[in-house]
Amino acid sequence: MSGKIGFLLLITILLAACSPTGSATPAVGSMEPSASTAEGATPITLIDDLGRTVVLAAPAQRVVSLAPANTEILFAVGAGGQVVGRDETSDFPADALALPTIGGYSGFNLEAIVALHPDLVLAQGGGFNSPELVASLEELGLTVFSLPNPTSMEGMFTNLETVALLTGHEQEVETLLASLRTRVAAVDEKIMPLSYAPTVYYELDATEPSKPFTAGPGTFVDLLISRAGGLNIGSALEGQWAQISLEQLVVANPAMIILGDAAYGETSEKVSQRPGWEMLTAIQTGQVFPIDDNLVSRPGPRLVDGLEALARLLHPGVFK
Amino acid sequence: MLRIEGLSASYGSRRVLHEVSLEVDSGEVLALIGPNGAGKSTLVRAVSGVIPVESGSIQYIDATRGSLDLLDLPPMQRARTVAVVPQAAAMPPAFSVWEAVLLGRTPHLNFLGQVAARDEHIASLALQKVDALDLSDRRVGDLSGGEQQRVLLARALTQSTPVLLLDEPTSNLDLHYQVSFMETVRALAHSDGLAVLIAVHDLNLAARYASRVALLVKGELQAVGTPHEVLTVELISAAYNLPVQVVKNPFSESPLVIPGEI
Amino acid sequence: MKIRPFLYTLLFLVLVVTLSIAIGSVFIPPADLGRILVGWMKQEVLPEPLKTFAFILTDIRLPRTVLVLLTGAALGGSGAAYQGLFRNPLADPYLIGVASGAGLGAVLAMSVRWPYSFWGLMAVPAMAFLGALLTVFLVIALARVGRTVPTTNLILAGVAFGSFASALTAWLMLRSTGELHRAIAWLIGGASQAGWGPVLTVLPYLALGLGALILSGHSLNVLQFGDEQAQQMGLPVTRVRTLILLAASLTTAAAVAFSGIIGFIGLIVPHVMRLWFGVDYRRLLPLSIITGAGALLLADVFARSVMAPQELPVGIVTALVGAPFFLWVLRRARNQGYW
Repeated sequence: MSGKIGFLLLITILLAACSPTGSATPAVGSMEPSASTAEGATPITLIDDLGRTVVLAAPAQRVVSLAPANTEILFAVGAGGQVVGRDETSDFPADALALPTIGGYSGFNLEAIVALHPDLVLAQGGGFNSPELVASLEELGLTVFSLPNPTSMEGMFTNLETVALLTGHEQEVETLLASLRTRVAAVDEKIMPLSYAPTVYYELDATEPSKPFTAGPGTFVDLLISRAGGLNIGSALEGQWAQISLEQLVVANPAMIILGDAAYGETSEKVSQRPGWEMLTAIQTGQVFPIDDNLVSRPGPRLVDGLEALARLLHPGVFK
Repeated sequence: MLRIEGLSASYGSRRVLHEVSLEVDSGEVLALIGPNGAGKSTLVRAVSGVIPVESGSIQYIDATRGSLDLLDLPPMQRARTVAVVPQAAAMPPAFSVWEAVLLGRTPHLNFLGQVAARDEHIASLALQKVDALDLSDRRVGDLSGGEQQRVLLARALTQSTPVLLLDEPTSNLDLHYQVSFMETVRALAHSDGLAVLIAVHDLNLAARYASRVALLVKGELQAVGTPHEVLTVELISAAYNLPVQVVKNPFSESPLVIPGEI
Repeated sequence: MKIRPFLYTLLFLVLVVTLSIAIGSVFIPPADLGRILVGWMKQEVLPEPLKTFAFILTDIRLPRTVLVLLTGAALGGSGAAYQGLFRNPLADPYLIGVASGAGLGAVLAMSVRWPYSFWGLMAVPAMAFLGALLTVFLVIALARVGRTVPTTNLILAGVAFGSFASALTAWLMLRSTGELHRAIAWLIGGASQAGWGPVLTVLPYLALGLGALILSGHSLNVLQFGDEQAQQMGLPVTRVRTLILLAASLTTAAAVAFSGIIGFIGLIVPHVMRLWFGVDYRRLLPLSIITGAGALLLADVFARSVMAPQELPVGIVTALVGAPFFLWVLRRARNQGYW
């Protein structure tokens, strides 16, 4: 009997070693990009966040966006008219809302994406859109590009250039970048001579008011707060969603509280009513402000808007 | 013949059987009696192979099979030699009587449990012998205690073994069923030539239906012999720590033990 | 062996498979389905929109249907086996911590950034599979007493290790919040991958595991009488129980590797089969396999069509629909012990 078991185990191991390296080819044709190569046009070749080499014969004309930041970038570089589908959470700009949705919260609808006949699917890397999703779309013969998650403003600018290249808006993006860089430089200029950097507590979630979550080091929020002339108390903690206890918060006693969860109903009145929070100077001095979290967390052009919004909150005297 | 020699068994560090030696002949009913905790059930379970044995041997010897060392046999072969009627055993309620009894053929079937006409014939014969054929389609969970015991007996018979072990099968039966059950067992032992070892609580049932009686006290065999030899005032009152009187059973030749007062 | 239960369950299966192929977020008119079939038979190239429809059928709906069928079959079969093995109506394929082990494996894999390659993409299902199997071996080892593995010990060790693994998983998820969404999506369960890769990967293990389980019907019948009686009837109890446990766990591990943790199918389907068709495990196992496949597929069809183009996680559908359905079936059979 143990001989039989051994034999069965061997068969199992052998079968496992012969796993398929690809899928069966579909019975009837496969999806081909509908864009044709114009005479003399050079193909666009780029490497995406997953290390994949993506080649487009010509700028994409039918783009499906899998992330809200991607949607914003597409519209910003002037490719709004080339977008044929978006994820459910894409809510900016207003024009995007008219586009058909293809999933988002609980997975993406492969059938819907395929039915839109996209020649490019724009995913967001860094874990937002899973590698399995990219692999599935690739399996279906679609061209997918995964934009890296930027860690700096320059990284975001590079993404703008990438998307512009993919959609044939190289000239427009230069104008956009010039204007964005000017605005960022303007903020930097005014911040540089300042000696005072107020401490900031940026709230991500306070479902449990004694143990709320704040933006940790390395997040975009953290980056922007520094650039806007503030000190993020979350930078001393660990993790992107860093949990801070009320005690730690009281000790840190930030000069300002910025409510990134304002969209979920948090207001300065509600915050001042939380038990134990009345100790905080920021509440006593009324320095509690809501902010549209999308401006500081979505890795798109509106990060500059976010930077300016933060600068206005942190240094109202300098920024009108 | 079932030959048990120098059998010792322990539960952990507690010795429950101490060098027990017994022989049960084909066609004979040997009743195992003794107070609670004496080791009666333990002995039955040790012979059937569900508890480990420390020392000693259990053999089955006959003309055709020669001498089989039961301790050495794999479960399948053992089950072809020894069948057990367990004590008030739980049976899954949704099985039909027929299904439950047919499972007794397991040691003779392949691992898929494929049943031939012969197996069904044996099962139906077993049910006849215990007078339970009319219960065949009933669900086991719907039966009375007495009916369940008869089904368990039928199952054990279906196993077609030369040795039959019964572990206090009459504990939950009323007077009528106690007697009818024991009469069936004795008749089967004689007709089918079975070597029957039966652990019983009731001394008088033992006296009436067994050809020999073995008295077990605290894991040790105190006496083995005919009912008259073992069911004496001296042995019984010492074993059960109770004054008794022994008279003659008016229905049979066997002794009748009457308990006294403490 | 009675044929009728098999006819009913196979009919159910065929109906659900038809539904699954016909329904999706892209509506394919039945007439077009017919034209596609004709086109395939004639081996001609289809015009649009038939070409896209055909592609959706062969590359999205059909592989997904088959994967869900296999997963449901695995859960139904191993659920029946676990219930028989532990003689416990509350047993399900995740009883001894397999789900927690798989989840831990998956989340561990997700906290590493694998290269985008065949093996990199296999990391999550492979580690989920390994996590599930290692858990079983560990739990058996922990529960062992001498030469036997008592049922109670198994359950206790499984629950204990399961809690430990779940806690570890939760901690890992909180630490790498970037992957949180991906981890939750996996744990909740559902088949959202395209292509035949997952099916082909899982098939050998399922064939082995389910095949072994189907052959164990008689042994499970005998085991229903308890370990002692089973031993006395000639069954090598410890060996048989270990083999069945391993086969059931192999099946469960393969099921969860790509599809995550889907509950209720393994618990409820065997009960319903028992209520309607009796306790004989030689019948119960194959029937649970067939009906498990159909039930999960039905839940999947529901999950992807009720709020299209959004998809409900299939584990939520099985819970929401399965639990009340089971209570209803139970009430109707209240007076009979069907166990």
